[in-house]
Amino acid sequence: MSYELIALLMFASMLALMLTGQRVFAAVGFVAAGAALLLYGTGGVEMPFNATFKLFNWFPMLTLPMFIYMGYVLSESGIAEDLYRMFHVWFGRFAGGLAIGTILLMVVISAMNGLSVAGMAIGSAIALPEMLRRGYDKVLITGVVQGGSTLGILIPPSVVMVLYGVIAREPVSQLWLAGIGPGILMASVFCVYIYIRVKVNPSLAPRLSDEELNMPLAEKLALLRAGIIPFLIFFAMIGLFLMGFTSLVESSAVGATSATLAAWWKGRLTRSLIHETARKTLAISCMFLWLILAALAFSSIFDGIGAVRAIENIFITNWELTPWQVIIMMQVSFILMGMFLDDTAMLVIVAPLYVPLVDGLDLGIDGQMVWFGILYTMTCQIAYITPPFGYNLFLMRGLAPKEITLVDIYRSIWPFVLMMIGCIALVMMFPDIAMWLPRQFN
Amino acid sequence: MPKFAATYVRVVDRWTDRVGLVAMYLVFFMIAVLLLDAITRNVIHFPLHWCVELAQFTLAAYFFLGGAVTLKNDDHVRMDLIYSHLSDRGRARMDLVTLGCLMFYLVVMMIGSVSSLEYAIATDERRFSIWNPSMIPIKALMLFCIGLMILQTISLFLKHWAVLRGEDLV
Repeated sequence: MSYELIALLMFASMLALMLTGQRVFAAVGFVAAGAALLLYGTGGVEMPFNATFKLFNWFPMLTLPMFIYMGYVLSESGIAEDLYRMFHVWFGRFAGGLAIGTILLMVVISAMNGLSVAGMAIGSAIALPEMLRRGYDKVLITGVVQGGSTLGILIPPSVVMVLYGVIAREPVSQLWLAGIGPGILMASVFCVYIYIRVKVNPSLAPRLSDEELNMPLAEKLALLRAGIIPFLIFFAMIGLFLMGFTSLVESSAVGATSATLAAWWKGRLTRSLIHETARKTLAISCMFLWLILAALAFSSIFDGIGAVRAIENIFITNWELTPWQVIIMMQVSFILMGMFLDDTAMLVIVAPLYVPLVDGLDLGIDGQMVWFGILYTMTCQIAYITPPFGYNLFLMRGLAPKEITLVDIYRSIWPFVLMMIGCIALVMMFPDIAMWLPRQFN
Repeated sequence: MPKFAATYVRVVDRWTDRVGLVAMYLVFFMIAVLLLDAITRNVIHFPLHWCVELAQFTLAAYFFLGGAVTLKNDDHVRMDLIYSHLSDRGRARMDLVTLGCLMFYLVVMMIGSVSSLEYAIATDERRFSIWNPSMIPIKALMLFCIGLMILQTISLFLKHWAVLRGEDLV
């Protein structure tokens, strides 16, 4: 049997097993363990366990539980309510002001956290009910929360970039800096889209009443205080890291500590909050880490059968693609796979196949691998929200108010997917959107 | 269901929860260790080279100890495109079959873990670093945790079986 066929069979059986609804990590691990035994006989029996020590050596993964913990503490700390109130009053007079305010809230949350979990929790607990109450169109705002919360993995800090950094051996600080430009670009595109939609069809977002917005300037300015704590957290975490005082994993611990302190300062730090947060952190961390562990076993088999060479053969020898066409093909395949496969498993399995290939392409971009990491992260954002499989879809179903049905959720995301694809195209055409900032720090 | 099944599920689930409770609070230990490192190096200029390594060991312990309890609480992500449309009995039937995959993966992990532990004991394996810690404790812990996950998988199996018979074990 040819190696291409083996790779294809492994992929197909993984997908088939996932469709049964068994835990994704079990499906991936089963195919990996089965393939190891079939290909290497009893000598392959140690492969799945050996992945444990590969993961062990990826010490930047320590940031994962830290950011998950931090996300849950932040969403319970009351910081988000204050921020939402600030944006609500300051942007209330704009067309679609609350929705635009929600995007800005997501930007601030993203700057404090490395996953989309925190944004989803805050968006669906605070922003969604408020906007529903004021008669905002539910399809529009569901999309806003889903699309906006994916900024969590593009705007630093970002756990997806940490994982990419370990796989591609690129410095996380450069990746994080490179995410800022595209993150701001994407947030602006979202805001402009909301503004135009509401201008064209004002019934999507009824204006707020004047009583709600009329307040003395002094009070309005006082609301800005809501930004102080997030700024301090961002500075303690990202600032100290970029200035070289703390290492990556230390900075995530600093972030976790400062979020805990903020919750204490707001009087929200109760024993039950600590217990609940620790429980949820363990659940989400275990979900991700067991998935990564199983996917690593899977990917080591791909490595063994030379899947990188196979893909190179298809793209460059058989199809004679130019370097830019290769990059575009990779993005398209990421987006398609991201719809059906688990997004984390995809990162661990597919990124090691593409990274050496991209490294060899001549695109004329300084810091090519960092730039590719940004494109990669942006396709992950799409993967998070596209059905049938996406983490944000999962979270949304669990968290959204009852009025919002599954159909609303599915309908709401397409404009955001299109905008994200547009932003990816822009970053491809103008790499400096991402690469200008990291160059200043080099 | 036979009486021993109910007893088995009760005992295994209780131990799973206890171990999970220990795992849960390790997150604070990781935060503390990493913070200690950042503070000693920047404030009193005394770098502690073993901190990140200790945190790495803790992370491994964290998700292995959390393995069984997250299986029990069904915290792992599933692709529920079809699964979510099944009835309770349909899900139980599907899981009863596909839990075999989980079991197979865990058993292969267990075999790998045993041979890795044997190697560590035979050669007194140590991690190559300034701290130079022994690998035996973490490998023994991993073996214990995989064992507990296998016991928990059997418990899940019995629970699904009970659902199909229209009984409740818990």
